[in-house]
Amino acid sequence: MSEAGAEDYILIIDGVTKSFPGGVEAVRGFSARVWRREVMVIMGPSGSGKSTLLRCLNGLERPDSGTIIVDGVPLDEDKAHRNQIRQEVGMVFQSFNLFPHLTVLENINLAQVRVRKRTREEATARSMELLQRVGIAEKADVYPAQLSGGQQQRVAIARALAMAPKVMLFDEPTSALDPEMINEVLDVMRNLARDGMTMVVVTHEMGFAREVADRVILMDEGQIVETGTPAEIFEHPQQERTKRFLNQIL
Amino acid sequence: MITIPAVRSFGRRLFRSPWRDILEYALLLVFVFALVAISSQRLGYYWQWYRVPRYLFTVQQGQLVPGELIQGLLYTFRIAGVSLVLSLIIGLSAALLRLSQSLMGTALARIYLEVIRNTPLVVQIYLLYFVIGPILGLGRFASAVLALSLFEGSYMSEILRAGIVSLHHGQWEAAYSLGLSTFDTYRDVILPQAVRRILPPLTGEVVSLVKNTSLVSLVALNDLSMQARVVSADTFLTFEIWFTTALIYLAILVPLSLFARWVERRVAIPS
Repeated sequence: MSEAGAEDYILIIDGVTKSFPGGVEAVRGFSARVWRREVMVIMGPSGSGKSTLLRCLNGLERPDSGTIIVDGVPLDEDKAHRNQIRQEVGMVFQSFNLFPHLTVLENINLAQVRVRKRTREEATARSMELLQRVGIAEKADVYPAQLSGGQQQRVAIARALAMAPKVMLFDEPTSALDPEMINEVLDVMRNLARDGMTMVVVTHEMGFAREVADRVILMDEGQIVETGTPAEIFEHPQQERTKRFLNQIL
Repeated sequence: MITIPAVRSFGRRLFRSPWRDILEYALLLVFVFALVAISSQRLGYYWQWYRVPRYLFTVQQGQLVPGELIQGLLYTFRIAGVSLVLSLIIGLSAALLRLSQSLMGTALARIYLEVIRNTPLVVQIYLLYFVIGPILGLGRFASAVLALSLFEGSYMSEILRAGIVSLHHGQWEAAYSLGLSTFDTYRDVILPQAVRRILPPLTGEVVSLVKNTSLVSLVALNDLSMQARVVSADTFLTFEIWFTTALIYLAILVPLSLFARWVERRVAIPS
């Protein structure tokens, strides 16, 4: 694998730093490369900069320095590049962020019609297929507020998938859910990984990470503490910080 | 101590039933009429209501012809209608400018808002009609409508802005991460939600726009208030004409408010 060229990586993150007004350094020189079809899980205590890093990857935050390249396209000041990247990087939020005034179907159709320029019929066909895939096709015509948290998050995943993204980012997708709904969302994510979607997931769900992740990164204070396969990280952590963190979430 | 449960429960039922509202309303009406009757007696005013109807409608050759007051009302509708559309456009533009990243844009919007909201509408109407109108070649109707629209637009812009910023930033982020353009985000995501939230204050502004059309009579436009002024000067039916005029305004604005409430309920997001 060492002779792999840059084109084999779908996501190249190099020396990304981001601080906020007030001098808080959220991300301090983060570098990682993500393969096609790889599932990368980022863990770490709250305030460790994992969400900020994720938000940098699709341009929701602008890094102070460092390079981010998505499938060969650099995320820079060029507006065409930024637009291309945010269309090709899907994002799932902790708080779902569905559009409350639109039905489930309209939520999933909107960007397909406006950005991908599909006809309403094409968009609806794809949306229904995706709703089937996340297991709530019967809810197509209801409004988000009429759904449970788990169902809303599954709609949000379908909405992001509708754009046929090359990478999916998940920002603590189950943290706002009641315990009994966490699994229905994780199931959808497991299937997605099995189908070969490239995913970067910020989560505290160890079971999910152990089962699905190709690589686990432990972050603290804006930096990588340790990185390795789930087995390496969970069974044989090398760093004292990793051990302490794992003890806390177990 | 004597207790009469039946009477007490009857009282309680009355207290909670719609009859209570009706009773209160009837009492209020009696009170108002008594007040009017007493004060007109004290004034020694000679009421001649029978002379009023001809200024509303007359029948000529079997046809209903609108009198001066109704003609004025129709003119008021025209002014209010054009001003409403224009003030919504101005208000939305100013709100978006104010929220834009452009320093120039926000400065422009701020200056517009501060100038318009801190000077009286009457002064603005005069300025536009006597000074700016002739320079730009605006007629009487155009300059009055423009003054009204600029005035109401400034209030609508602040209401709209409040509605827009009240939305959770997650809505922007979701739209952004789906690749929607700023225009699409406003049109499909932000404004439909913002407008639902601000319907009540927006209705209030529409009502005050209609009422403020009465000020255009200052530049001799033949709206309802102007006609009322002319008719009452001609006939000396001061009280009758102005009471009637007030009732006409009331008769169009109350249904307008009810209509707005109906719209509000219709577009409410099911939950």
